[in-house]
Amino acid sequence: MTGQPARLWGGLFAAALVLTGCATHMVRLQPVRTAFQLGDLAEAERLIVAEAESGPEDDLLLLDRAMVALAAGRPADSERMLRQARDGLDRVEEESQLEMAWSMLGDDQSRTYAGEDYERVLLRAMLAVSNLVQDGDDAEAYSLQVIDKQRSIVAAAAEPDGSNPKAAYQQVALAPYLRGILREETHRDYDDAARNFQLVTAWQPDFRQGPFHLARASGGTHSRPGHGVVHVFALVGQGPFKAEAEEQPTSRSLLIADRILSVQMQSSLPPTVAPIRVPRIVAAPGIAGTVRVGLGDWSAGQTETITSVSQMALRQQEALLPYQLARAVVRRAVKKGTIHGLKQGLGMRGGLHSAAIDLAGVAWEASEAADTRCWSLLPDRIQVLRLELPVGTHTLTLTVLDHGGRPLGDPVPQDVAVSDGRNTYLLVRASDAGFVGSPLTSGPAATGQKTIPTSR
Amino acid sequence: MGRRLDQPSRMGSRRFFLRGLVQLPLPLLAAGAAGCRSVQFARLMTPGEEGMIGSHQAGQETFTPLVNEAVAKLLARHAESAVQQVSVVDGAEPMPPPMRRVCFVGVENKSAEEIGDFKEQIYQAIDARILESQVFQSVNRRFVDAGLRDTRLRPDQLLVPQQMRTFADHMEQQGQPIDYLLYATITSGTTQQNRDYQRDYLLTLELVEVGTGNYDKQSAELSKGYHHSRLGRWRAAHSHSP
Repeated sequence: MTGQPARLWGGLFAAALVLTGCATHMVRLQPVRTAFQLGDLAEAERLIVAEAESGPEDDLLLLDRAMVALAAGRPADSERMLRQARDGLDRVEEESQLEMAWSMLGDDQSRTYAGEDYERVLLRAMLAVSNLVQDGDDAEAYSLQVIDKQRSIVAAAAEPDGSNPKAAYQQVALAPYLRGILREETHRDYDDAARNFQLVTAWQPDFRQGPFHLARASGGTHSRPGHGVVHVFALVGQGPFKAEAEEQPTSRSLLIADRILSVQMQSSLPPTVAPIRVPRIVAAPGIAGTVRVGLGDWSAGQTETITSVSQMALRQQEALLPYQLARAVVRRAVKKGTIHGLKQGLGMRGGLHSAAIDLAGVAWEASEAADTRCWSLLPDRIQVLRLELPVGTHTLTLTVLDHGGRPLGDPVPQDVAVSDGRNTYLLVRASDAGFVGSPLTSGPAATGQKTIPTSR
Repeated sequence: MGRRLDQPSRMGSRRFFLRGLVQLPLPLLAAGAAGCRSVQFARLMTPGEEGMIGSHQAGQETFTPLVNEAVAKLLARHAESAVQQVSVVDGAEPMPPPMRRVCFVGVENKSAEEIGDFKEQIYQAIDARILESQVFQSVNRRFVDAGLRDTRLRPDQLLVPQQMRTFADHMEQQGQPIDYLLYATITSGTTQQNRDYQRDYLLTLELVEVGTGNYDKQSAELSKGYHHSRLGRWRAAHSHSP
């Protein structure tokens, strides 16, 4: 073999290695998930920091680190990291055509990760929750951002023919819920609260508390005189992750791929396309079902799902899978075309050199890996519970229950301070092993607070 | 060593190689080079500069003129009556009556659109104009909020005479007596024409006298056309021109 072709296919192997990642994101992050779900927050943080030092996925790892900080009782740190990640992801949200073209030579992992749509919406929701358990000053702004983001993601996906692949997205009912409870607390903007609770009931019809919230905002008041409200937020279970799967391109994805090739390369799709690797969302929620909140001997209630993160991710994947497949098909066509062009350019018509280049081409295609990057420490479900309690400090008993109502781990007592006509927020993270970290609560100490008599 | 004529030269084979290598990806890269990721910029708008117009819903272009017109109308009417009501004490200079105190309860959105952060903006704009007018004295919003919270009365319940008295008494106890309640309401009406539509926005200010329940009402209206294409907008803009 002459030196030139040897260098050539050696170079192709090297390029294939450079253009594709070595191990997928989720494989590397699995120990972080495990440590976090077991409640070993120090180990989870250590692993994330180690991962950050060795890789370029700063914003994505920052999201996971923010979740660890929140569970560890550092909401200010969490908010700062989430804000930083939000700004970073916003900067790369618009797809770079250059990057898209470059990824055709490697795989989707070579594109800067801008976050899945559900992650970008939930990021703002988590910002609101992190802020609520501090002073809550920016919670209103964050809650507006959640709604705006959700709306803009769907609006931006509208096709000229009027179709919209993202119209099928499941909307995050947590967003209007947050806005509803914040507007209700003003004791003035009940119309806003009712409007938002209306959205909650429409977007999450199986949320049983929804109609009660709507009825209260439409004709009632925030709370009785001498009472305040405790809003419990529970982040329950393990969120979805992505795994690599082999897919046979569907006719719809082939159509989209053909359209991309026609527009960008004035070329048509080669007739045969072997199975391709794409990321598939895997829901593995675990056995944690809900959080029971007790007050003395009285069971005050159980948290109820307002947003199912896994379901959202699955619905989104369903809507976008044809586009993912199409991109992979185009990539395959580009690689095949490059090998074909190379052989033509070198005037090869069979022989050892030609076989060697074919082999390099196969290795190039085989080196593709699915892009499994994702926010790995999201919960499976976000659950809420509203409790109206008399002014003062109360000790709530919190217990994680499995889907059958059996306790997981020991009950945890938590003091909450309730102020007259005000909201207090309590945030917990529940997993199969019980609570992860400590509950977080907002609000000033209500002990000794004067109850304002009403003149009604 | 000789070279067959049908074999490309070393130089030629490099050229062919390069051509082959880039044959497919290059058009993609070239197409991509034209579309690098854009960066967001911002600038300060100069006073008097024409603001942006909301393409999908009402924005400052709608709310600012509505607030200006509705508040100006209300204040103009009451400025006249304030001038006429002059207290005269024997042998003394005519005294202007004390400024009447208005409790601006809030802005209610009954339109088809979510107005988001504009609600606070509208409240503050109306409140500031009333305060500047010297026709009314407006009660600080923090007192209004505290009053509503303490009495657990909804803004719409204040129009029930007994509850209005309860609220007024409470405010007086807090050192904030009130003469009027002021409500602002945004409503809308939509007329559809194929894929284009017209939305009429109405801002209504209702001033209710606490003692008597008498009320005054002033409105401002603005219509806005939403078009699916530039052509649609152009056609609508020129359909009524002479």
